[in-house]
Amino acid sequence: MNLLEVDGLTVGLERSPTSILANVAFSVPEGKIVGLVGESGSGKTMAALTMMGLLPDGIEVRSGSVRIDGRQLMDPDTMTVERRAGDMAMIFQHPQAALNPTMRVGRQIARVFSLQQGCGRDEATSLAIEMLSRVGIPGAERVARAYPHQLSGGMCQRVMIAMALACRPRILIADEPTTALDVTIQAQIFDLIRDLVEETGAGVLFITHDLAAVAEMCDTVTVLFGGQVMEEGSRDDIFRRPRNPYTTYLLDSVQKEVDPHVIEAGVDFELVGCRFGHRCRYAWEECGGVPDMFSVGAGHRSACFLHAMEENGAGAP
Amino acid sequence: MPALLEVRGLQKTFGRGRGALPAVRGVDLDVERGETVGVVGESGCGKTTLARMVAGLTRATDGHIRFDGSVLDGSSASMENRRRIQMVFQHPAQSLNRRMSVGAMLAEPLRLLAGVPRWETTDRIEEMLGLVGLDPAFRTRRPRQLSGGQQQRVAIARALMPDPDLVVLDEPTSSLDQSLRGRMIALLRRIQEIRDVSYLFISHDLGTVRRIADRVAVMYLGRIVEIAPTGELFDDPRHPYTKALLSVAPTMDLDSARERIVLEGETPSPTDLPTGCSFQDRCPLVFDRCREESPVLAPVGDYREVECFAVTHPSHS
Repeated sequence: MNLLEVDGLTVGLERSPTSILANVAFSVPEGKIVGLVGESGSGKTMAALTMMGLLPDGIEVRSGSVRIDGRQLMDPDTMTVERRAGDMAMIFQHPQAALNPTMRVGRQIARVFSLQQGCGRDEATSLAIEMLSRVGIPGAERVARAYPHQLSGGMCQRVMIAMALACRPRILIADEPTTALDVTIQAQIFDLIRDLVEETGAGVLFITHDLAAVAEMCDTVTVLFGGQVMEEGSRDDIFRRPRNPYTTYLLDSVQKEVDPHVIEAGVDFELVGCRFGHRCRYAWEECGGVPDMFSVGAGHRSACFLHAMEENGAGAP
Repeated sequence: MPALLEVRGLQKTFGRGRGALPAVRGVDLDVERGETVGVVGESGCGKTTLARMVAGLTRATDGHIRFDGSVLDGSSASMENRRRIQMVFQHPAQSLNRRMSVGAMLAEPLRLLAGVPRWETTDRIEEMLGLVGLDPAFRTRRPRQLSGGQQQRVAIARALMPDPDLVVLDEPTSSLDQSLRGRMIALLRRIQEIRDVSYLFISHDLGTVRRIADRVAVMYLGRIVEIAPTGELFDDPRHPYTKALLSVAPTMDLDSARERIVLEGETPSPTDLPTGCSFQDRCPLVFDRCREESPVLAPVGDYREVECFAVTHPSHS
């Protein structure tokens, strides 16, 4: 069953027709890890911030729904996400920047317990220490008394995860959780996230630009470009049978020999229609419109006019 | 003929007394003409300090660096050697001068290091922009008008301007999106073919190093623990640290059936190293001798060196 369902999410700059996310939809089932992948500027972090209600000033939600267990979180009047404690928790790319530098880490976690479960200070503290040892921190009592600057990046990320888990979230949003960490530490954090999914049945939205990390971690993958969902499917669909020209381009740019002199233009947010249109080798007039998501296999969908032609029995142009 | 770059017994200790931090603890390394040597390792292994010493930006505590036969002395590096060794940094936005146009930035090293008069620089600048895949119109742009990938191309162009024999690249692709990295690697290889320049390529990203280096050195806590031709190192790593590092690096290959070796704990603090091998507390092969004596790099096969008693003297373990 889907724990999280995001549908028709459109987010843009205030007083501007430009949309940063255009009609974005994805879902996270119980106990699964869903990858949200894309290059810089694809809108993957904006999607996370929207769900957490942390959008920066000047950016507004125009439409869309965010449901957890079928319950609508999007307030139709204010167009903001009103989440309850325990709905979602997020771990950020730079844990040292996300933790409070003036508070001991044990206290930061204990506050979550106090606020959510209303337990007293002593009980909250012992729960915090228990949580720290659960995320594999040796000497949790000692670490609980440390300030963030006294801990390594890997330790801080564990503290963030401990804090996120203290909320007992149904959905864990992990935004590039290991980009700032070394691979041996990354392996430990990945194991930790996998263990948690198994233990608690939480769903994870795993946001990254690193395709290898997606191949390691995710059950299903949603590919974003320029704020549009280009393709979604199982990990095998995306890596072995990609159907969208953008997904193919993305995989090739990492795996194959590329021409060093082609400079990639960024995303053109003024562009109407398919945002990949101006870079796509198949693009033709049709691509001035926005393609629908076409079903191209069981649980495998892709947004491209090529699929409309295939359905009509014509070959690729 | 001696190698272009010969590093012998190189050491760097920051600070002194009890808090002294030995960043590089005796490194020997050669780079041949036209060769690319990759240096990989995790945060704090000393790879950037090594790069900065070779580029003459940090003075060594002990040991020496010989470049094309003459000893480089950080205090009185000759103008000629400054010209012949150039460096590219991790963050192009920080290493480019925000107030200068691209053209002015490329002209500066020509005038200062190669004595080319200002009126003769224009042709060479346009030629160089072409080499790194930028349009001549970029001459008048300033760094903030460029994307991250374009900025790094300018940084590479600036390093190549005085026609160096060795370019030290410190994490040149780490600040770029994964989809841009392949293109940057292809560009560096193309330049090497045309200019016959040598690269000392520092990175924590194993996939990138695999695609560009002829030989790879793996550093751990200030020492090279294994050095081998790239194919040998990746296909058959021998040092237990190299094995663990390669086994947990994420891969896009869904069929890979490798056994993950997740190391316990984190890298110990360089200010408080144990007696004997510095990898002993995380090593699956540790035995008595490793706690008493420090291993040194020893040949294994024709082209490989490994710093591990269990590998070089297997009968004792």
